Amino acid sequence: MRRTVVNRVLLGLVGSVLLGFGVLVLAGGLDLYRRLGVHPPGWWPLTSPDQPVLSARSRRRWVESSWWWPTVIGALAVLVAGMAWWLVAQLRRTGLHRIDVPTPGAGGLRLKVSARALEEALEHGTSVLPEVERARVRLVRAPGHPRLRGAVRLTPGGDPVGLVEHFEDGPRVDAVRSLGLAELPADLRIRVREAPAERRRGRRRHRQLE
Amino acid sequence: MSRDGERTDPGAGSVRKAPRLWAGRAATAAMVATVVLVVAGALLYDVVAVRAGQPARRWRAQVADELATRHLDDVWVLLGAGVSVLLGGWLLWLAITPGLRRWLVLRPYGGTDAAIERAGIGHLLADRAAGLRGIDHLRIRVGRRRVRVSVSGPVDPAVVQRQLREELGRVGLARPLRLDVRSWRGAAGGVADGAPDQPDDRAGEAAG
Repeated sequence: MRRTVVNRVLLGLVGSVLLGFGVLVLAGGLDLYRRLGVHPPGWWPLTSPDQPVLSARSRRRWVESSWWWPTVIGALAVLVAGMAWWLVAQLRRTGLHRIDVPTPGAGGLRLKVSARALEEALEHGTSVLPEVERARVRLVRAPGHPRLRGAVRLTPGGDPVGLVEHFEDGPRVDAVRSLGLAELPADLRIRVREAPAERRRGRRRHRQLE
Repeated sequence: MSRDGERTDPGAGSVRKAPRLWAGRAATAAMVATVVLVVAGALLYDVVAVRAGQPARRWRAQVADELATRHLDDVWVLLGAGVSVLLGGWLLWLAITPGLRRWLVLRPYGGTDAAIERAGIGHLLADRAAGLRGIDHLRIRVGRRRVRVSVSGPVDPAVVQRQLREELGRVGLARPLRLDVRSWRGAAGGVADGAPDQPDDRAGEAAG
């Protein structure tokens, strides 16, 4: 969730800047202020269609000030560092290779279980549940503790509620118990396969003959 | 209201409210971050190079020159501003809206949250309707708040309504969908509403 928030703040900021700049230029270029009879305050930028987008004079307005170049370079450096950090964080996201297992009573012992082993156990446990055609389970990072993310495809006419209950009472609870974890919440994404056309037609004809 | 009471014990976890799904927006954010990184990086490099006594790169001089000579009513400036408005609006839309409209949340059970694909609900309903006789044509559209079913043939729409509501109750959605069944009765041509005696579908679904 935290990652989502940062992503959305980034998109919102960039989007606002683009939108605001575009609207200002369009309003000035199409001479909307005069046509609508609006009088913007004196400091308002880009009001007349005969004005350049960024005149040489306004570009050089603060060049003589001693703070200008350090500020520009500092701001750009912060921007570059921030974006690079964010991209690295995005790439790191998929990798959760091990999960810490609590070892009560054994002070000096630290136990880790391979994420792949856990995923395979859960995948196997899920794919043998009734009406499951295909199951994929991944262990992902989440704030606080790892989460399971499962994608399950049910056979035609499958029972989603049954799947959720079986998954919870079966593979998930087994995994939490056997590893002694405090929490390992799961998100399931369920698809249901479409019945083949001939089967549907066949069923209909069958019922009609009864 | 017992018509769809197949599963009245949703489990211990049902007291927890099902959270709405929010898309991570990871791909778009990564793309925007890359573009910002490239532009800011190039600008930073050039500004530092100029400060260190090198001449400015051609591209920067060119951009500055274009910005200083083209006026606001220039076609390219207006075009660029239009693109900027559209792009900015789209990014803002992505930032604000939850996304993941293809998925509907199911009632959570224990520590498991689940969501089902809307198309999957459509497949379940179509499969159920295939068991009914007297349906010539069937169209099922699963929206995010309601399911619209149009059916033609000699079948009784109330039966279709009842069967599909039962199937919908079996899905176990956190926020139940309304179900509208409309019927075009073959040659008679009349449009009949599926369930005139059931003004409030939600009440029935919520009880299940």
